[in-house]
Amino acid sequence: MTPESPFYGDGRARAFMAAVGASGSWDWDIASDTLRVDPAFAELYGLGAEAAASVLPTSTFFKAIHSADRPRIRIAIAGILAGAEHFSKEFRVTAPDGSTLWVHGRGQLHLDANDEPLCFTGLFIDVTERKRTEERLRIAQSAGGVGTFEYIDGFATAAVSAEFCQLLGLQPATALPVNTINAVLAAGEPPLLPPPGSGMIADTLEGVFGVVRHDDGRHRWIARRGEVLREGSGYRLIGVIYDVTEAKDQEARLRELAETLEVRVQQEVAEHRQTEDALRQAQKMEAVGQLTGGIAHDFNNLLTVIIGNVDAAMRRMGDAADPRLRRSLENALKGAERAAALTQRLLAFSRRQPLAPKTIDVAHVLAGMSELLLRSIPETITVRIVAEPGIWAVEVDPHQLENVILNLAVNARDAMPAGGTLTVKAENIERREALSGDCPPGSYVAISVTDTGTGMSPETMAKVFDPFFTTKEVGKGTGLGLSMVYGFVKQSGGHIGIASTEGKGTTVCLYLARQAQGAVIELVSDDGAPEAGRADETILVVEDDEDVLAYTAGILRELGYRVIEADDGAAAIALLGREDLAISMLLTDVVMPRMSGRELADRAHILRPGLRVLFASGYPSDVMMRDGRLAPAVDLIAKPFTYAGLATKVRELLDQRTSTL
Amino acid sequence: MTLDTVVLGELERDALTEIVNIGVSRAASNLRKMIGDQVSLSVPSIDVLSQHRAARLIGEREDSDLVAVRQDFSGPFAGRALLIFPESNSLELARAVTGDTLTGADLLEMETEALTETGNVILNSCLATMANMLKRSLTMTIPEILRGDSATLFEVKDDTASNGLVLFLYIDFAVRKRDIRGYIAMILDLPSLETIKALLGEFIERVVGNDA
Repeated sequence: MTPESPFYGDGRARAFMAAVGASGSWDWDIASDTLRVDPAFAELYGLGAEAAASVLPTSTFFKAIHSADRPRIRIAIAGILAGAEHFSKEFRVTAPDGSTLWVHGRGQLHLDANDEPLCFTGLFIDVTERKRTEERLRIAQSAGGVGTFEYIDGFATAAVSAEFCQLLGLQPATALPVNTINAVLAAGEPPLLPPPGSGMIADTLEGVFGVVRHDDGRHRWIARRGEVLREGSGYRLIGVIYDVTEAKDQEARLRELAETLEVRVQQEVAEHRQTEDALRQAQKMEAVGQLTGGIAHDFNNLLTVIIGNVDAAMRRMGDAADPRLRRSLENALKGAERAAALTQRLLAFSRRQPLAPKTIDVAHVLAGMSELLLRSIPETITVRIVAEPGIWAVEVDPHQLENVILNLAVNARDAMPAGGTLTVKAENIERREALSGDCPPGSYVAISVTDTGTGMSPETMAKVFDPFFTTKEVGKGTGLGLSMVYGFVKQSGGHIGIASTEGKGTTVCLYLARQAQGAVIELVSDDGAPEAGRADETILVVEDDEDVLAYTAGILRELGYRVIEADDGAAAIALLGREDLAISMLLTDVVMPRMSGRELADRAHILRPGLRVLFASGYPSDVMMRDGRLAPAVDLIAKPFTYAGLATKVRELLDQRTSTL
Repeated sequence: MTLDTVVLGELERDALTEIVNIGVSRAASNLRKMIGDQVSLSVPSIDVLSQHRAARLIGEREDSDLVAVRQDFSGPFAGRALLIFPESNSLELARAVTGDTLTGADLLEMETEALTETGNVILNSCLATMANMLKRSLTMTIPEILRGDSATLFEVKDDTASNGLVLFLYIDFAVRKRDIRGYIAMILDLPSLETIKALLGEFIERVVGNDA
């Protein structure tokens, strides 16, 4: 073609070229190695209008091509000049104004009759706008995490975007075999794209698929959206995929929440009701405890008087008295003692009994109990008492421990109406794991009471120690039963365990913490002659109950002590203030109007530091106790007390004082 | 990172694509002479893959059995060239090459011959162009026909003999508006590929000169 050719000069041709979006065209003559261009090409390259009409060197072709793209294009042109037929490249062109345009160059090699390369013609199309759109699409995909795909019916591959590959954990590619795409689906999922030759035609692209990412094996949920475009008898699928794992998980959690809501509400309500029941029981127990304590106080005062006076009457009766009278008095005393025991039980049940823990040898306690046990248990039952040699010392109230063991033994007896074997055993136990929440691992002395009786059902067992349910046991057997045992063990900082098999028997085991320090106290029996007092030992007795005061003072005087009486705290203080009075000991009631025994003792210690104080109480109340035990250095005698009991306690205290001085 | 980015640089890939493009153009031109002017071949896309991956790639893409024309070549670089079609395409190709003049038994009889001839034209054009453009000469064996699945064609069933690389070219055939597609694969050992890489470097130096 020549410059005069209508192709380049004709206005209509130019208009046509512009209309198809061409930004220039060229004709590269291979034989003469020259280039002809149209005005649009000249304008694009900034060659000047006259260049369109002239013959240019072929090197002009590369002039405006961006330096980064130039080697690529040189290689492509070399291919054309050597016989490649098609030229189709995208590259950047730097326009005369300095701006960069993206251009798609498309060309064709023309051969002569001998198949020798003749010329190479083609045109540029400005694809800057498309490039920008592609860029926007690419950024939209990567920023939004959306991958695109296009699948044409019947093809084995689908056109995909880089983000599409990324979402499925595949190497970036522009086309992927459909089989490769479907291979990332989790087992049991329908294909993401119709497999080759399946004949499947999608109605919709709406769907969510579980996939196992190809690179890291993570399970994700992928949503597919898009359109099915019908084309003749076939179709095209154009759509997107994106990760919906988070939404899917949330949805699953919500569904689960909704499904379990009813059950959980029921559970919560049941739990709430249980807590309420427990609280109500606790409140009831607290009220019963307070009531019991109050009654115990008055009741013990009355019993002190009764027992004291019956006791005194018996002591003074002499050998010649009528034996029937003695028997009557003995019966009266027995009745009063049973009443005292009952108040003691009530206090134990409400965990308000004053405990006087001592460091003791359990084996010794058991040995001392054997006679009592044999007496309480019928002959149809074999009693075995086993104490491991070298039992550790424990700190516990020995009298209450005896009560508890006896209580358990009686329970065991009741469980064996047809006879059997009762075993009371003490052994050392090292626990590596906690016995219960409030009983840490460590060394324990375990005292177990085992029977071969009827045993208990799991339901009964679950309730038997629960202090809120044991009230059901009231009135049965020994009265307050296991709840008293439980109360004592807990109050002593121990633990209690139970094992039972229906028809086989029951074992109740008390765990008492090993007491490493402190010498074991030899328990002295209460038998023997009461120890007398001396006239130089003056005891100040304070008691608001007139009868009790008279009884107490009477015993002390009988024992040989000098006694000063006061009927309330104020009077006692006045007496203590008198320096001319030598007072060896203050014996005071605890619960008194206006000034309590505790308060009196405190004020007495200010007046007379080192003064020995003995409290007497049927219900010592919280002022005397710390954590359910008597405060250290507090000496207490429980009402009702007997002549011998008071004699021993007073003597013990006075002697103790002397020896420490 | 894929094997091809390790082995060939971007410009080297462009250069190789261009060189094969010339070969494919020549092949199309030759085919036109054989069967009229109905044949055109697309610009190939290039990958360098392991033999295993190449087998898997074709296996994933093509469900049916394959038929291939094989030619071995030797020279500064040596290897084996394969022109691969889906088996279902091969009769169609034979029909196109024979100008739809044959039917039935005659066509079946002609199939092998048509395939061998087509393969010879295309593979020869590609290899000769490569040798020519890289300024070296190659010797080629007579073409033969192979049938089987992709593993058979790439000889990956026997694991010991399959650690070569495959220069993988994908081209579309448009034969008289028939859907015929095919693949050109060149199985090379690593030293041969290194040689080709060096020769491509020389070619680029010649063509691009100062612009590189």
